[in-house]
Amino acid sequence: MNISLNWLATHLDLSGKSIKEIDDLFTFAGVEVEGIVSKGIASEKIVVAQIMEAVQHPNADRLKVTQVDAGEGTLRQIVCGAQNYKVGDKVPCALPGAALPGGFTIGETVMRKVESKGMLCAAAEIGLPAGEDGLLILPQDAEIGKPVKQLYDSDTLLELEVTPNRPDLLSHYGMARELATLLKTPLKPLDIRGAGVSPAANITIESPNACPLYTAVRISGVTIKDSPTWLKQRLESIGLRPINNIVDVTNFVLHELGQPLHAFDAAKLTGNIIIRNATDGETFLALDESEHTLTPDDLLISDESGAALALAGVMGGLTSGVTETTTDILLESAYFTPQGIRRTSRRTALSSDSSYRFERGVDPQGVLTASAFAVKLILETAGGTAEASTQVAGEAPALTRPVALDPAKLDQLMGGSISLTAAEGILTRLGLTQLADGTWNVPSFRADLQRHIDLVEEIARVHGLANVPSRFLGAFVPASAIDAAYDADMVLRRRLAALGIYECQTIKLIADSQLTDALPLRPLQDGDVIRVKLPLSEDHAVMRPSLVPGLVASAARNVRQQAKSLRFFEMGRAFRNVGGGKAKDQESETLAILLSGGTAPTGWNQSDRQADLYDLKGLINALVPNKTIRFSPRERDGFTLGCDIKADDQTIGLFARLKPSRERELDFTSPVFVAELDLTKLRKLLTGIEHVEDLPQFPGSSRDAAMELPATLPNADIEAVLAKCNEPLLIAFECFDVFTDPTGEKLPTDRKSVAYRFQYRAADRTLKAEEVDAAHQKVLEALTQKIGVKFR
Amino acid sequence: MKEQIPVIQSEALAQIASAADERSLEDARVSVLGKKGTLTLIAAGMKDVPKEDKAEVGQLLNAARTAISAALEEKQTALQEVADQAALAGIDVTLPARAVATGALHPLTLIRDEAIGILRRMGFALADGPEIEDEFHCFDALNTPADHPARNEKDTFYFDSGKLLRTHTSSVQIRTMETAKPPVRIIAPGSAYRRDEIDATHLSVFNQLEGLYVGTDVSLPDLKGTLEYFLHELFGPQTEVRFRPHFFPFTEPSFEIDVKLTIKGQAPRWIEVAGCGMVDPAVFESINKTRKDNAFDPETVTGFAFGMGLDRLAMIRWGIKDIRLLIENDVRFLKQFA
Repeated sequence: MNISLNWLATHLDLSGKSIKEIDDLFTFAGVEVEGIVSKGIASEKIVVAQIMEAVQHPNADRLKVTQVDAGEGTLRQIVCGAQNYKVGDKVPCALPGAALPGGFTIGETVMRKVESKGMLCAAAEIGLPAGEDGLLILPQDAEIGKPVKQLYDSDTLLELEVTPNRPDLLSHYGMARELATLLKTPLKPLDIRGAGVSPAANITIESPNACPLYTAVRISGVTIKDSPTWLKQRLESIGLRPINNIVDVTNFVLHELGQPLHAFDAAKLTGNIIIRNATDGETFLALDESEHTLTPDDLLISDESGAALALAGVMGGLTSGVTETTTDILLESAYFTPQGIRRTSRRTALSSDSSYRFERGVDPQGVLTASAFAVKLILETAGGTAEASTQVAGEAPALTRPVALDPAKLDQLMGGSISLTAAEGILTRLGLTQLADGTWNVPSFRADLQRHIDLVEEIARVHGLANVPSRFLGAFVPASAIDAAYDADMVLRRRLAALGIYECQTIKLIADSQLTDALPLRPLQDGDVIRVKLPLSEDHAVMRPSLVPGLVASAARNVRQQAKSLRFFEMGRAFRNVGGGKAKDQESETLAILLSGGTAPTGWNQSDRQADLYDLKGLINALVPNKTIRFSPRERDGFTLGCDIKADDQTIGLFARLKPSRERELDFTSPVFVAELDLTKLRKLLTGIEHVEDLPQFPGSSRDAAMELPATLPNADIEAVLAKCNEPLLIAFECFDVFTDPTGEKLPTDRKSVAYRFQYRAADRTLKAEEVDAAHQKVLEALTQKIGVKFR
Repeated sequence: MKEQIPVIQSEALAQIASAADERSLEDARVSVLGKKGTLTLIAAGMKDVPKEDKAEVGQLLNAARTAISAALEEKQTALQEVADQAALAGIDVTLPARAVATGALHPLTLIRDEAIGILRRMGFALADGPEIEDEFHCFDALNTPADHPARNEKDTFYFDSGKLLRTHTSSVQIRTMETAKPPVRIIAPGSAYRRDEIDATHLSVFNQLEGLYVGTDVSLPDLKGTLEYFLHELFGPQTEVRFRPHFFPFTEPSFEIDVKLTIKGQAPRWIEVAGCGMVDPAVFESINKTRKDNAFDPETVTGFAFGMGLDRLAMIRWGIKDIRLLIENDVRFLKQFA
């Protein structure tokens, strides 16, 4: 909301207060100051000067050298580029040292070898509204040497954010009332003569819940014209455009007192005013020329013709408003209940200064005051005669009730930092009055004060947290399972970063088209993907069922920035419905890793090696070094090389490579390997060892064996045989070579040679060669029998 | 023989001295001390030496052997020294390193971990809750009226199921109090969602850190002390902190917290970093209703809650001008945190 400081100062004495003090005052009242705009001329060093001479600059076609009289006794030479003046004109002259808006200060300079001791100014250059091109020509009677700021009004516009619980602050008077409380200064009395009231013969309220109080007063014989200057300036000072005297008065009163008003052209009304609900499908043409289809939940101001004159509290109708030919008006001032206005405003997407206030709640006791004030101003600015009394239908709802203040609770919450007397003083200044039974009567404009805690809040707010002591205490509580999970995740994160992987954060809402890249732990069935109802854009329409799509998109973005090495991970939640579209949503925490391109930075002694699947496999193993990581093939839609990732025998996630066609589509130049791992399982694998194993006391022996077998036989088959061969002396084995010969010369192309090294050891003795040979023989026989390998 | 030994000795020493590499040194050793070496052969003649001369010749032989062995060893050491030096010569220590791939934690993780670290040190335990929430936990139980603007479909993401994406982590307050009993002292980091167009200062998915302390005699001084301590730990002990009155439906009184940010070369300015307040008794009443007990009796139990935007903290900490950098994952950005 915009507040003009000059306007505010009509209600209380702000003299001597700096902008900074006023800013702090609002800030600590709970009103956020979002902007401060100073209007008018700030510097005293911009003075009225008369141009006494202007000659062509010797070195510049477009410049003139002027001699000006700035009231200093001698003439001042200033180089000027403007064309719109004549000798003898009075113009603003910024003397050296003058600070201009935009933050620069005038000095003495030399322009193209000619001295210039100041600057002649255009309107915009000194902070006035931009006028015609060139210098601002001042009136001839302006006194030479006088600061120009004295010729122009200055004002400060405050852009304030009022919290939704404080509708009473949505006006200049309301804001002044609050500041007066905080400053402990008196509020200037409002000069409003109360109008007589009469029961409303001509008003029917059909929906008293939505409109408990409606008042109207008829003013005849008004003349529609421009508003007087003071009124126009008030509206312009808060950024409003003056329209005509009647509309301007209603707008002025709204911003003065916070009560929205509406003026109808009485000639366009037929019979009585009827406040009724719209019929289903009824249309309404608003004064901004938008057309709306209404529901019975919307409240209309209508008449006996049934016409929809105004959408109550939201906006007037196009055909019932005041025009240049209007002579009689009907001025509405009413209380509409907030909920209804809010629903209608939202449904119709119509909002106005009026609906903004009604939906937060206006002061029901202010309805008639505002009407009387507006009538007075209309008569002053538009002439005419008003009905002797205002017609009143319904009655002002009582929105407040007495509230008790519990001194013990106040003391506890405030830490004893305020005495009861001081606290009661604050309530009193806020307009509350203590009743005989000790409870507090709340003024009608503070409907937000309903409970004890609301009073405490007011006391704390006005007292200020700066005046409350700090206490450094807290209960001891046990760590939670979430703590353990967090710690495990941080271990994983740090391990990954230490392994040269960059952590990413991607948006959890992804595009439908990105689902192609999803690698959810369990395949998605129809209905498993969760879509938001009203996405901001197609790019963010689906809750990610997997973290891989985000990583793929991030990697693709980096490829476009010429990144050569793509090594990313992300941890977080994935979302889906429980299998089969049973629509029970599920959030699971996963870790996704993506590798593509160079495995390490290249250099003079390092050649470029592209990441392959074994890099990613190794990486995963490095995360859980005490487990054996195995990949077991399982096809996944949309991917190649799909595998379950197993830690020992437990499946902990999925691995795959993007389809080469998808890689090309995203401009990847090297294969993209991805994995998605179940964090809940991974965390459990991080639990450290329970006790150390003794180091072996006796040396072991190793034996190598090269075996020939079909090229298609997976290595896992060899390992499976070795795992089950039940040879107690065999303590470890490793594959150290895989050989194939595409030419078929050394080995048929459908065969491969795989070399293993086997470690044998006994815990209690040094093995004899014969023992090792026997054990080795047993292992080789097992391989021969189970998978038919041939030894070379 | 007596005469031969010194000759062999001096010839051997000369041969050793002239050896230019390991190989010629080995040749020299073999030719003197090898099976058919000159000294070996002459030593074999000891048996023919007259008894009275044996001692003298033996001494000569031993002296020769000792001298030759010493010379061999000395030469061996010298040659090794030369070879070592040759091996090290020409190594340019100023050439670039063999680079090791670096990785990094995301700035958001860094700031979150720092904040969590401080708060856990202050005795808060972690808690969490679902991001796909129901209206009850996100709004109703947090004393948010049914027609509150935040519940608008324009501002909040809804699903056909009627559920929504939580607009704040405050729903975790409710989730926690539904099962725990006072004292409750928790923090909950997590994502929150608002239907904001993504631009330099807004993300539709952002990260918050929620805190809640409920017990007997929890007061404004506790709130103030806790958050001042936290912010001093995070931003430095000299940092000025101020509490501005504000409004949230689920706390009363409510405050927003600013810290005075001093950046070299810039005028100090107040920056909003968090919202906080005393838990509104209506929240406790709602919890009791759900729990069907009176564990959070507003007559005896009080508490404070706070929440802050982690993305914003990261932006403040590292002077990040565009929030989108936090979700674009450009390696040139991420690398700076390595």
